[in-house]
Amino acid sequence: MAAKHIGKMVVAVFATILLVWFMASPKKPASDAVYRKYPDRIPVRFWHMWSAEWKVVVDRIVDRYNKSQNKYEVLALSVPGGADTKFLLGAMGGDPPDVMAQWNPVIPTWAEGGMLLPFEDIMTPQERRLFDTQSYPIVKRVGQYKGKTYGFPIGLQVKGVFYLPEAFEETGVREFPKTWEELCRVTQRMTKKDSKGNISRLGFMPGSWAETSSLFGGGIYDFQKDKLTLGNPKNLDCLKNLVSLRQRDGYDSVSRFQSGLNSSSFSAGWPFIVGAYAAVVDGPWRVEQIAKYAPNLKYKTALVPAPSGGLPGAGLGSGNFMIIPKSAKEKQGAWDFIKFWSGLSQPTVAAEFYVWGGWLPPSDAVANAPIYQKYMKEHPQFATFVSAIKSPMIQAQPPVAYQVFVNDTIQKYEDLALRGEISPTNAMTEVQAAVSKEISRRKRLGYDE
Amino acid sequence: MSPKLRRELTGLAFISPWLIGFIVFTGLPFLRSIQLSFTRYDIVRPPKFVGLANYQSLIFDDQVFRNAAVVTLKFAIISVPLGIFCGVILALLLNANVRGISVYRTVFFLPSIVPTVATTAIFSWILNPQIGLVNGLLAKCGVTGPAWLGDPKWALWSLMFMGLWGVGNSMVIYLAGLKDIPNYLYEAAIVDGASPAKRLFKITLPMLTPVIFFNLVMGVIGSLQYFTQAYIMTNGGPEDSTRFYALYLFDRAWRYADMGYASAMAWVLFLAIVVLTSALFGTQKRWVHYGS
Repeated sequence: MAAKHIGKMVVAVFATILLVWFMASPKKPASDAVYRKYPDRIPVRFWHMWSAEWKVVVDRIVDRYNKSQNKYEVLALSVPGGADTKFLLGAMGGDPPDVMAQWNPVIPTWAEGGMLLPFEDIMTPQERRLFDTQSYPIVKRVGQYKGKTYGFPIGLQVKGVFYLPEAFEETGVREFPKTWEELCRVTQRMTKKDSKGNISRLGFMPGSWAETSSLFGGGIYDFQKDKLTLGNPKNLDCLKNLVSLRQRDGYDSVSRFQSGLNSSSFSAGWPFIVGAYAAVVDGPWRVEQIAKYAPNLKYKTALVPAPSGGLPGAGLGSGNFMIIPKSAKEKQGAWDFIKFWSGLSQPTVAAEFYVWGGWLPPSDAVANAPIYQKYMKEHPQFATFVSAIKSPMIQAQPPVAYQVFVNDTIQKYEDLALRGEISPTNAMTEVQAAVSKEISRRKRLGYDE
Repeated sequence: MSPKLRRELTGLAFISPWLIGFIVFTGLPFLRSIQLSFTRYDIVRPPKFVGLANYQSLIFDDQVFRNAAVVTLKFAIISVPLGIFCGVILALLLNANVRGISVYRTVFFLPSIVPTVATTAIFSWILNPQIGLVNGLLAKCGVTGPAWLGDPKWALWSLMFMGLWGVGNSMVIYLAGLKDIPNYLYEAAIVDGASPAKRLFKITLPMLTPVIFFNLVMGVIGSLQYFTQAYIMTNGGPEDSTRFYALYLFDRAWRYADMGYASAMAWVLFLAIVVLTSALFGTQKRWVHYGS
């Protein structure tokens, strides 16, 4: 009897061990060739966050790279949700991708923690020279932390004004305004309301406080002095201006307008396409989307004009960039792929990728490529952004480890001010106080030693 | 080996897959998070002991933490009783002996099996201030509806309202509880001339209190950990009016890479849940009737 029970127990334990082993053992595909086109090449694992229509573009670029040489095979994986977390867990577990495309503000934290490979360690002196001499100023700012390049830009963004000439003409405006004040003034007349009093078309939707403040001579960060400049009085001027703009259209009305479908940022559902804005500040990728979803839309673009006494050509730039984890297994392959995509090795070839994605070029070498020039001719609206990105006045996100906190805090108090809940002055004070508090907390805990 | 021990070991062997899973994926992380809550840990670098600094910051410095705690408590205090009230009413209605009752039961239960993400997507449309169903109906009555999810005064209420959509889950439990009430109690009450209202308040509800208590405890724990709907629909806004505790904890952990601080938050939440649940258990002697 006892032997029978022991037998059962042994079977149960054995079955359990088998089950745990089966579940825990890494799944290896029956054959690599099943999903690898080039099984004889060195695999380079590439993670990115694009999905849907963007994923198609990325897959095309990867395919083009894989066909361009016979040493590496880039294996792309789209990780659209929670990519940072997955990357962190992969890196902590010693199995990160070899290269990852990013746009989140991760560089300061990850670089500070020694997770990322500085590109200075992998670039040859000639490549370094090319990068330094060819790239636009913003390119170097986007991926830098403490003087080293941890993110290699593969597409830049800066905002501009998209506007409907018809709406301007309706109100007797023939030429796009030269100053911020004039733009605000003329677009006031373009706001339309329906019979229920809801806004059906908003005259002008500006960019965020962070995006606009540099036009006023302010900004979040001083790259020369390496410090946050939230207290810059020009930032307050900017916020006051944005608040007064919101006030004139009605805090509640605009809030309702934004809460409706008009806040949709989906490609085909972008409100500008259906005429919900007479003028709106947005990014260059919209040009390609309009071409795809509303090819007959008559619109123009312009640089966001600076206010009188402001800084024309200023703005906040950002970009998609590549990172290589320090623990990546195939760093050389990753770097080779980055050079190919970014255009550092073959700018004329890479120019096509920038066209596919509607991304701004990192250098004149890419911008002057015939295919890019052709694209700008076909889409003259895009040229506005290309001229904007060259400006040395374009700022980047503050390269501090608590960047997300800074952005969230700015956004929170900007929102409060734009809803008329607190005054712009109080919003500024609160932002500074919250950020100072966070900085001292981090200091106390020794985060930024 | 005694037969008892043998039986116990056999039982343990059979549940060992779950036990191993629990120890590895819940037990150990649970214990580890206690340790992490006393450290500075940004995931990237190894944790460094900082004593009680995280707890100090939480309690004395962090306004967002306090606000998140208040929002979560407010949500729990209103939505849990509201859910119980609606669940009980619905169960009472669906306990009636009418034709096609099983169809009604299915209809009211169906929403609770719809995935949360799908429900939130649907409600984002229903609550849309300009083209939404709710404001459309209000407009027919001549009322201009608010920007539900975009208005700090209404956003939390909107989430509470949406919570009622899933009341079918608890309704089924109440229904089972109602079926469990012995018929002879009602028969005796009818013989004694008790009115339907008396039967409801003197028999049905008291006999249902164990189920209500169960749902109350589970509801409180669930609402203190409320996350998904707020994450998808409002992401804490507008103006932090829906910044729930779990949402802020998530932000601290994964967006600010502040795992030590987030672990401290998790432990504060755990202790709050323990205290509240214990308090509820403390009150049950006064109002929960287990019968005899």
